[in-house]
Amino acid sequence: MKRRTRLSWLWFSIGIVYFFLPLAATFLFSLHGKKGVLSFAAYRNVFVDPDFLKTFGFSLEMAVLTVLVGLALIVPTAIWIQLKVPKAKPLFDVFTLLPFAIPPIILAFGLIRSYSRPPLALVSSPVLLVAGYVIISFPYIYRSVDSGLRAMDLRGLCEAAQSLGAGWGSLLFRVVLPNLRTALLSATFLTLAIVIGELTLAVLLAWPAFGPYMALMGRNRAYEPAALAILSFALTWGSIGLIQALTRTDRDKGPGVGAGAH
Amino acid sequence: MAFIELRGIVKSFGRNTVVKGLSLSVEKGEFVSFLGGSGCGKTTTLRMIAGFETPTAGSILIDGGDVSRVMPNRRNLGMVFQNYALFPNMTVRRNIAFGLKIAGKSAREADARVDEMLELIRMGEFAARYPHQLSGGQQQRVALARAIAIEPKALLLDEPLSALDAKIRVKLRDDIRDIQRKLGITTIYVTHDQEEALSISDRVAVMKDGLIEQIGAPFEIYNRPATPYVAAFIGTLNIIPATAIDPAVGSVSVEGQAISSGRVLDVKAGEELRLSIRPEAFTLGGANSLEGRVAKVKLLGSIVRLVVDVGGLALSADGFNDPSRRIPAVGEAVRLGVPAEAIVVSRPEEAPLVAQAVEEEAVDGA
Repeated sequence: MKRRTRLSWLWFSIGIVYFFLPLAATFLFSLHGKKGVLSFAAYRNVFVDPDFLKTFGFSLEMAVLTVLVGLALIVPTAIWIQLKVPKAKPLFDVFTLLPFAIPPIILAFGLIRSYSRPPLALVSSPVLLVAGYVIISFPYIYRSVDSGLRAMDLRGLCEAAQSLGAGWGSLLFRVVLPNLRTALLSATFLTLAIVIGELTLAVLLAWPAFGPYMALMGRNRAYEPAALAILSFALTWGSIGLIQALTRTDRDKGPGVGAGAH
Repeated sequence: MAFIELRGIVKSFGRNTVVKGLSLSVEKGEFVSFLGGSGCGKTTTLRMIAGFETPTAGSILIDGGDVSRVMPNRRNLGMVFQNYALFPNMTVRRNIAFGLKIAGKSAREADARVDEMLELIRMGEFAARYPHQLSGGQQQRVALARAIAIEPKALLLDEPLSALDAKIRVKLRDDIRDIQRKLGITTIYVTHDQEEALSISDRVAVMKDGLIEQIGAPFEIYNRPATPYVAAFIGTLNIIPATAIDPAVGSVSVEGQAISSGRVLDVKAGEELRLSIRPEAFTLGGANSLEGRVAKVKLLGSIVRLVVDVGGLALSADGFNDPSRRIPAVGEAVRLGVPAEAIVVSRPEEAPLVAQAVEEEAVDGA
């Protein structure tokens, strides 16, 4: 027993070192922006660069649009599948793998070829970029929503609400969505994280996004990319922390613990 | 005119017909149970009344109007589900108020009604709790309050107690009946538990293969089952193979012992028959009796059940657990008396022995 504990601590430590060593090294490296002293000069350089704010703002905007469009499309679809055509679920699970299986570069060329001619000449419109992002984030949104739906008794709750007079509107906004809060939050943060750092689509559709900006910095500067990497790490971890914090309060009063009371 | 009327309703799922032309009239304020085994169509029928399924054929009338194609949210029926289906994100108070809000009641009106409901189910102090902080029985009471808060035309309950412990089940079923009586609300109750159905209903509809096999008051169903299926489904029943001796006087032979069925039998002498006898119809001793040996003695609380080996047949006989009377010991020879009018006689094909309710109590070594 004791040896086992020690062994698991050993593996845990190896994992920690494997994970944090590069991070610590990157962080240390990013502090060398000024010769001879440790400083946050590289971070300052990043923040004062007008391109940083511009590209980050643009990507954030695209990410928010992607979340809105993606949720509006995928949440009702997932609910509909779960309720009305549960047999189609395996098919949909395969669909969700397509954005992983097909490289973004192929998606980008496909979009460019299909939408560069009238009647749908959208190549120069951000609509096409958002559409591409919705496809890329589809698996993340669908899977979070689907697991959220599976965690509740969707059919039972819908029938209960209907028998109490609720139409589809109240059903969705008063019953289903409030119970999907955790799933929607995680879908949102995942999508934000993916879209803000996305490179391929932004480059090929020629948008001044944050992904291409990071790539450019990586080629031309020494310390600033390290600072950017640390910043995006902090952003991601912050998001995850936020999900945890928000869902913890949800769990305190939400479902899940109730299973024992049956 | 009946308050709820089902006219020849049929429901098919693909090639599988679950309800096969069922008709039923329920009066206003009546409590009717659908009783049957799994797959008999009882839940499907209830779901058609609620509007969650559309009948393939036939029509459903509520309060004189045909609702067969009306959406469930327009039928104004209260529904209680087996798994409670409370909204997990809402407190008890908000759960009960849900239907009132949808109906556009003012906050004050809704609050007053919710208070009334909380008092009815005696759960006032739990108003601020969330469903997962309640026991199963409490959750189902909240679900009941939520369903009747909207003053529905009728209350539909789909096996509401089957997820609960035995003790709470009995308590809650009495509560349901009390509340139903108090409000005079027309109620349809689906269950597979015959004791539940018999104890709370005005009428019980015993269902089999998508049709009502028999409908009647609980006493009628239990004491005068119309078919051997009903007899076997309701309570424990001894189904005994017998041979006619003299059809004119109704005498039959059970494993070589003569017994009277007290009526003229429409069969030839020597023909095979089935006798159905309730365990509680047997007495120890008596004129019209069968001789046997006690194989098992089982204490069922207020009832003592003897399993008696009569020429290789295991017959169950129930008596009250009366401390002043001696209970025969295992191995002892006894005579099981039975009044002729307590015997239901049927042909073998009407009462297959496989349906025998005592089979799990077969005599050891017999």
